[in-house]
Amino acid sequence: MKKRLYLELENCIGCRSCLAACTQCGGHEERNRNYVYDVNPLVNRQTMPLMCLHCVNPACARSCPAQAIQIHETGAVLSALVEKCIGCQNCTIACPYGIPKFDTEQNLMYKCDLCIDRTKDGIPPMCASVCPSNTLQWLTDEEIEAKQKQFNLDNGKWVTSMPYLEGETNVKVNLPGILQGVTKLF
Amino acid sequence: MQSTIATTKKKERSINDAFASHFAKSMFLTVVGLFILTFIGTRMFTHVDLNLYGYMVGTIVFIGGFFYRFIAWGERPPTKIFIKKGLKLLFRKSTPKTAVNHLAIYDFIRNRGIYRWIQHILIGWGCVLACLVTFPLVFSWMYFTMEDNGYYTIVLFGMNVMHVKAEGIIAWLSYNALNIAAIMVTAGVVMALNRRLKNMQARAEQKFMYDFLPLYLLLFISITGLLLTFQNIVLHGWMQPQMSLIHQFSVIVTLIYLPFGKLAHIPFRPVSVFARNYREHYGEQQMKECKVCGDHFVSVEQSSDVIQVLGANEIDFNMQDGFNLAELCLPCRRKYRISRFSGFATHQVKVKEANQNAKG
Repeated sequence: MKKRLYLELENCIGCRSCLAACTQCGGHEERNRNYVYDVNPLVNRQTMPLMCLHCVNPACARSCPAQAIQIHETGAVLSALVEKCIGCQNCTIACPYGIPKFDTEQNLMYKCDLCIDRTKDGIPPMCASVCPSNTLQWLTDEEIEAKQKQFNLDNGKWVTSMPYLEGETNVKVNLPGILQGVTKLF
Repeated sequence: MQSTIATTKKKERSINDAFASHFAKSMFLTVVGLFILTFIGTRMFTHVDLNLYGYMVGTIVFIGGFFYRFIAWGERPPTKIFIKKGLKLLFRKSTPKTAVNHLAIYDFIRNRGIYRWIQHILIGWGCVLACLVTFPLVFSWMYFTMEDNGYYTIVLFGMNVMHVKAEGIIAWLSYNALNIAAIMVTAGVVMALNRRLKNMQARAEQKFMYDFLPLYLLLFISITGLLLTFQNIVLHGWMQPQMSLIHQFSVIVTLIYLPFGKLAHIPFRPVSVFARNYREHYGEQQMKECKVCGDHFVSVEQSSDVIQVLGANEIDFNMQDGFNLAELCLPCRRKYRISRFSGFATHQVKVKEANQNAKG
C-alpha cells in the first residue's frame, strides 16, 4: 500500500522532535534536513514544519547540471548522489521552498530523501514516526481523501498542495483549522 | 521568400559545417589525433604491438560511447551553461589549486570520511597509473628495445628517453607498474565492497547493477591482471595466453561500459572545477541581494541562470508579490512559504530563523 507524507500544519507545537529524529535516520549523518518555523514569532507561538515536499517535477533536479538528484520509484526526490554532485548549488537556488542544504567542506548538497531506507519498505519516515501532535502523518491516498472529505466545507479553503504550492507534490499539505477558523481540540 | 533569405544571408564558413553533428566532429578529430600520435609514436607504424590490438579497438569503441554520453549530457540546459562559462573561466588564478583539490587529492572526499577517501585514492590513482601505462603501450607511444645486452631503452613517442639496466629499479617499476596499480585497485575495491556490505545508508540505496557491478569489473580486471604475473613467475606461463584473453575481455568490457554507469563520474568530475570557478568569478563580480532581507546570498549571474534554466524546463516561480523565488535567500524563501500557508507575512518579520539545527 503506497503511503504519503501528509502535513497538517496547524497541529505543530514546535517541539522539534522531527528535526531531532531526522538526524537519526540511517544515512543522514546526524544532520537534519527539515525546518520548523515560528509563523509570527513576536506575537504568538504558532509554529509550522517545513520539509522537502517532493515535487512531481522537481526544480532542483531540473536545474542540476550533473544529474545528481535522482527521483526514486516511490516518488521521493533523493539527496544528491555523492559521486555526481559537483557543488554548484543550483538546486538551492532553484528550489521554490529553499530546502536543500549545502556542505561547503564536503562540496555536497544534502536534502530530505523522505528517509528512503525506511519509506521504500513502507516504514514511515523518521519525522512522521516521532511527531507527537499528528502534524506529520504517514497515510494512504484513501486516508488522505477521507481527511479531505472531513475538512471540506465547500468554501474552497481545503489546502492540499495545489494550487497553493508551486507545483504538484508527493507530500500533501493541509491546513484545515486555520483557514476555516476552527479551533481544534486534542 | 526563402530563396531571397538564403541569398541575402551572409554565408558563414565554419569547419563545423563539414560535419554532420558535434558527435561526428569530436569522433573524427579524436581518431585523427590518435592516428597521428600513433604514427609518430610507432616510428611510422614500425613498432606496433599487435598483442594489444584488441585493446586498441576497445578504446576506439569506448571513445565513441564516451562522446555520445558526454555530448548528450552537455546538451542539458544547466550543464551547457556550466561547461560554456567554465571553459571561459578556465584560466583563473585559482584553477590549478582547485583542480588539484578536486581531481588529484580529493579534499572534499576526505571531509566526507577518511575511510572513503583512502578507498578513493587507492582506486582512483590505481586506475590513473594503469591508464598511464596501458594506453601508451596500446598505441605504441611507449615501448622498450634492447640494444645492448642487459640494458633496456625506453622509447617514448619515438624518442629514446631512457637507457636503463634490465635489473635496475626503474626497469623493475616499469615491469610492475600494472601490478602495483592492480594491488592498489584491489585494496580500494575491497574497502568499497566492505563499506557497501556494512554501511546502512549504502545498503538502503545501492543497486547491484549501478553500485556493485563497476566494483566487480574493476576487481575482475585487477585479479586477472595479477594472475598473469602469477602464471609467469610461478606456473611457468601455464594457461597464460588464455588468461591474457580473459584479461583483455575484462578491460574492454569495462572501458565500453565506463561512460554509461557509475564510473561516468570520473570523466565528468572536471565540471566541479568549472562550477567552483563559476561561483568564485561571478561571486566577485556582483552578489544578488535577497528581495526581502537584502542579504547577499548568491551571484547575480547564477540567480538569473537558474531562472533561465527553469524557464527552459517550463518552470516559472514568479510570484505575485513581485519577485522570483530564486531572488530570495534560503531562509526568506522558507519563511515566504510559511506565509503562503498561514496567510501571515512571516518573511517580513525581522527575526532571524533559529533552532533549525538539531544536534543529534
